[in-house]
Amino acid sequence: MNARLFLHIASVEARKRMSYRIDFWINTLFGFLAEFGVHFFLALALFAESGSTQIRGFAQPDLVVYFVTVLLIQKIVMGPDFGGHVSEDIYEGGLTRYLLFPSSYTPFKYAQHMGALVPLILQAVLFGVLAIFVLEPTQALRVTPWTIAGAIVCVLVANLLYFMMRLPLQLIAFWQDNVWSLSVMLRFASRLLGGAMLPLIFFPAWSQDALRILPFRALYDLPTQTFLGQLTLTEWLTGLATALVWCAAFTLIARAVWKRGDRKYTGVGI
Amino acid sequence: MWRYARLYGYFLRFSFSKAMEFRFDFFFRIGMDCAWYVIQFALFEVLYLHTPLFGGWDPAQMRVFLAAIFLSDALQMTVYANNMWWFPFLVNKGDLDYYLVRPVSSLFFLSLRDFAANSFVNLLITIGFMVWVLATYPDPLGAGRILLYVALVLLGVFLYYAIQLWFLIPVFWTHEGQGLRQVFFSIGSYSQKPDAIYRGWIRRILLYVLPLALIASFPTRAMFEPDPWRLVLHMVVASAVCFGLSVAFWRRGLRSYASASS
Repeated sequence: MNARLFLHIASVEARKRMSYRIDFWINTLFGFLAEFGVHFFLALALFAESGSTQIRGFAQPDLVVYFVTVLLIQKIVMGPDFGGHVSEDIYEGGLTRYLLFPSSYTPFKYAQHMGALVPLILQAVLFGVLAIFVLEPTQALRVTPWTIAGAIVCVLVANLLYFMMRLPLQLIAFWQDNVWSLSVMLRFASRLLGGAMLPLIFFPAWSQDALRILPFRALYDLPTQTFLGQLTLTEWLTGLATALVWCAAFTLIARAVWKRGDRKYTGVGI
Repeated sequence: MWRYARLYGYFLRFSFSKAMEFRFDFFFRIGMDCAWYVIQFALFEVLYLHTPLFGGWDPAQMRVFLAAIFLSDALQMTVYANNMWWFPFLVNKGDLDYYLVRPVSSLFFLSLRDFAANSFVNLLITIGFMVWVLATYPDPLGAGRILLYVALVLLGVFLYYAIQLWFLIPVFWTHEGQGLRQVFFSIGSYSQKPDAIYRGWIRRILLYVLPLALIASFPTRAMFEPDPWRLVLHMVVASAVCFGLSVAFWRRGLRSYASASS
């Protein structure tokens, strides 16, 4: 797919998403604040009851900043619930029209997915700017233009990785009647093992090697730690390389599933 | 009353036969809920690596709290969650007519028609977890306290239902149910942490205005506090008031309902 077509599909999707304004603002104002509130009180209680001023290198204000950052990044990485549309295309036979288009199905869907990110990016920027005025991190966090640029690269890769992780699960719809629960399982696992519920450094020492190798870390922990200036250049490059390897692996898996499923697809839906 | 019980029996029969048609989905959903239980359990286990108490509870007490969360989640998923999910679509498409013309309470019919047979298996799993947690608790727990705990968990499920309706009924006026539903799911996560961690006006809201903090925390506190009756009274009053408001809100919503053109 050429870049112009990709951008056109993405912009159509972005305009479609922005048209639901009431929903957008309700979600923006209450959804994020509610989610952040739980994390905020968790951080306060954790430090108050442990009696510590530092937990694995985090002071309490820094943990709050971590949670704000990871929640905003998580929104962009997960994106809207787009994976569901792939299985719906298969169930309802809507995949047929994409097969007739002069472009591949997966890039088309990814372009739509990127377009649907626009409202989420606006939310993230809005709350990110507000957070700058409200939060007071310690000197341990070092946000610079370089860390912001590094985090943007990580978020782009993480978004692609999450899309590619979800795709094979959605393609199981070629064989099974309902697969949304698989995507939900992926979301649950990625939030815990990716660092969206707690920084991964809080996990026991014996699990750290496994967490570094698994694909989940690249989704939330890597972009967040990059943004907060907690990684060396080597750590950042290693994390990014691991994420790209996982992207390639999931692309191969999705391709294999697609090939087998395509042969089974009848075009009339299930 | 007997008519309603018989009707509910039909709902169960229909729901089980429907669930058996989609066997893989049946098992996927069981797996999904189990994944959620494992993740919640793991989250608190990790937290206790860094603190001896959380929300005023030690790890064994926290497991009792988790058992309350899991049981109330499994109950609501089994009994009414599917029905709540479809409610805004029914209003928008005018399909609510089908429920309104029946000679039974429309709210009863709409809330309980679809019994989630797959989540019923999770209900059994969570009961097993609760039995394990209570059996392995280091101190003796009286039978009376355990009964009170279970009764309050059931009341918490009812309270959650009443509050959830507040976020669904506005679809009669807004015609778009997704935004508020998402907000409810976000706010609902406040019930999954001990109420003692919340402070200030947020705590007051969660105890008195939007009493989500009661759902699993109060049954657990009733198990361990010397005088549980203040908590029981608080929960009974909150449930009655919330349900009364939901019914009143529902009636107003129905007056605004204009079938397919709603």
